[in-house]
Amino acid sequence: MKMEKRRAYSAWIFLAPSLILYLYLFVYPTIEAFRVSFYKWSGFAANMEFVGFDNFLKLITDTSFLEALKNTLLLLTVGGMGSFLLAFIFSYLLGSGIRGKKVYRTIIFFPFIVAPVVLSIYWSLLVYNPRVGILPQLLKLLHIEVLSEFLFTDMSHIFWSVLFIVIWSKVGFYLILLMAGIERIPPYLYEAARLEGANELQMFFKITLPLIKEVLVIAIIFWGIHAVKMFELFYAFGGIFPPRALWTNAIYLYIMGFGKRDPIFQLGYASAIGVVTLLLVIIVSFIIRKSIKREIYEY
Amino acid sequence: MKSNKFLFERFLAHTILIIWSILVGMLVYFIIISAMKTNRTIFRQLLSLPEKFDISNFINAWTNLDFGRYTFNSVFVVINAVALIIIISAPASYALTRMKMRFAQPITFFYIAGIGVPFQLLLIPLFKIMVPLNLNDTLHGLILVYTVLSIPFTVFLLTGFFLSIPSELKDSAYVDGCNEFQAFFKIMVPMATPGIVTAGIFNFIVLWNEYMLALVFTTRSEIRTLSLGLYSLFSALQYTSDWVTIFAASAISIIPTMILFIFLSEKLISGITLGAIK
Repeated sequence: MKMEKRRAYSAWIFLAPSLILYLYLFVYPTIEAFRVSFYKWSGFAANMEFVGFDNFLKLITDTSFLEALKNTLLLLTVGGMGSFLLAFIFSYLLGSGIRGKKVYRTIIFFPFIVAPVVLSIYWSLLVYNPRVGILPQLLKLLHIEVLSEFLFTDMSHIFWSVLFIVIWSKVGFYLILLMAGIERIPPYLYEAARLEGANELQMFFKITLPLIKEVLVIAIIFWGIHAVKMFELFYAFGGIFPPRALWTNAIYLYIMGFGKRDPIFQLGYASAIGVVTLLLVIIVSFIIRKSIKREIYEY
Repeated sequence: MKSNKFLFERFLAHTILIIWSILVGMLVYFIIISAMKTNRTIFRQLLSLPEKFDISNFINAWTNLDFGRYTFNSVFVVINAVALIIIISAPASYALTRMKMRFAQPITFFYIAGIGVPFQLLLIPLFKIMVPLNLNDTLHGLILVYTVLSIPFTVFLLTGFFLSIPSELKDSAYVDGCNEFQAFFKIMVPMATPGIVTAGIFNFIVLWNEYMLALVFTTRSEIRTLSLGLYSLFSALQYTSDWVTIFAASAISIIPTMILFIFLSEKLISGITLGAIK
């Protein structure tokens, strides 16, 4: 079969440009980062010193890292629950044959396409701004100024203030994914359930959830990956330097590797943080895949 | 006859959705009106409309603070990167799904697994590769980094699209005497256009908004991208106290993505939808 062989050959030509770039500038740096994480290395000179697992052992006792890890996990779990709960509520509201469905969906999706820096600027300077922001002014208008203590003003709450921005800006993307799954469910299933006397909640758990499993798995894995990698919104928040309460793994890695104004250049240590973060991504994806059983319902 | 309960539920649904929409709309509204105020008045009248229609902050950002140049840099970098991403990822996705090549599945997985890698992990080794190639601190280097790091997600999207095109089409092209390249460009590319457009818009938006990689791989101020320029302006705020220019620059940054979004949001949304439920 000469034709078949030629076809297989040309498939590799189609693949070659992306594969070469991917191997050289993506896969090789990943492997290199793993290697560097076993070294103590302060810069680009050749003074690399092999230290084995020291960097990883140091991480366990590094309180800054543990706080960053805690923030990353909170973002992953609480942020994820918030985003999906809200996305499900919106998909329910929009799925009930409401007028203006597409317009609402587009508006809810909009913040997803706005640059994280712009989101940081808008929320920190105009909304949360302790003295003059929109939110403190609104609270004053409603005579509930006491609540402002719980907002951006107070450093212990800044993480939650930013987490709200994350949910607010990402929910539209997950709404679109969930609606794509829900719209494929044939309506007669709901009609039949309604005839049997099922309520909305029962229909959600017995019909909607099982039938959108495939889409839900993809959506949750996307969220997990996205949350663990998230950097820009948190890093820009607070302008000159993100407060420690906002450090995530990604930010701590960046600070250890590149510093801010004063370079720190603990490149081996920074790489170790990256390796731990990557392992976190793998574990999370694995747990999601395993915990949502992959039965496919025929309908 | 619609019951009162039904009408009440409708009313409640609209109320919730309208409140959320206002919360979203406020972003655009407040950035634009704040961009037309002065540093002296902005916080005294944060909620009110500007006294007059005044675009001097925009002009200041565009000329004196170099945002005109940053915009040009962003356009140059993002357009080239998006074009390159599509040019290398579309044939690869086609080969992996529709050319019956060996190891297609493990290679696809190998590509898509890249989505999970945090970019921060790659910064140090990538930096080390870029310096001897003289690509560090150049726009071409940034284009290259953007292109490569966008491969995994683009291949994920595009393989989904090629899988949704029936392979009989391609087979009949072979029967008609097309070779692989003709079959790809004449039959498959036109069929996969919705997917390619989605991937293009998605990458455009992500890269337009990106500033972390730009921060690492560029240092000269004249090659800053728009997002990086905005970030630099924002982080210098405590020295300059120039609030209103930041809002003008923010508006300059969101206007292109907003225009793209207004015209193409349906395409983007239906593309994401198709990609998700293959």
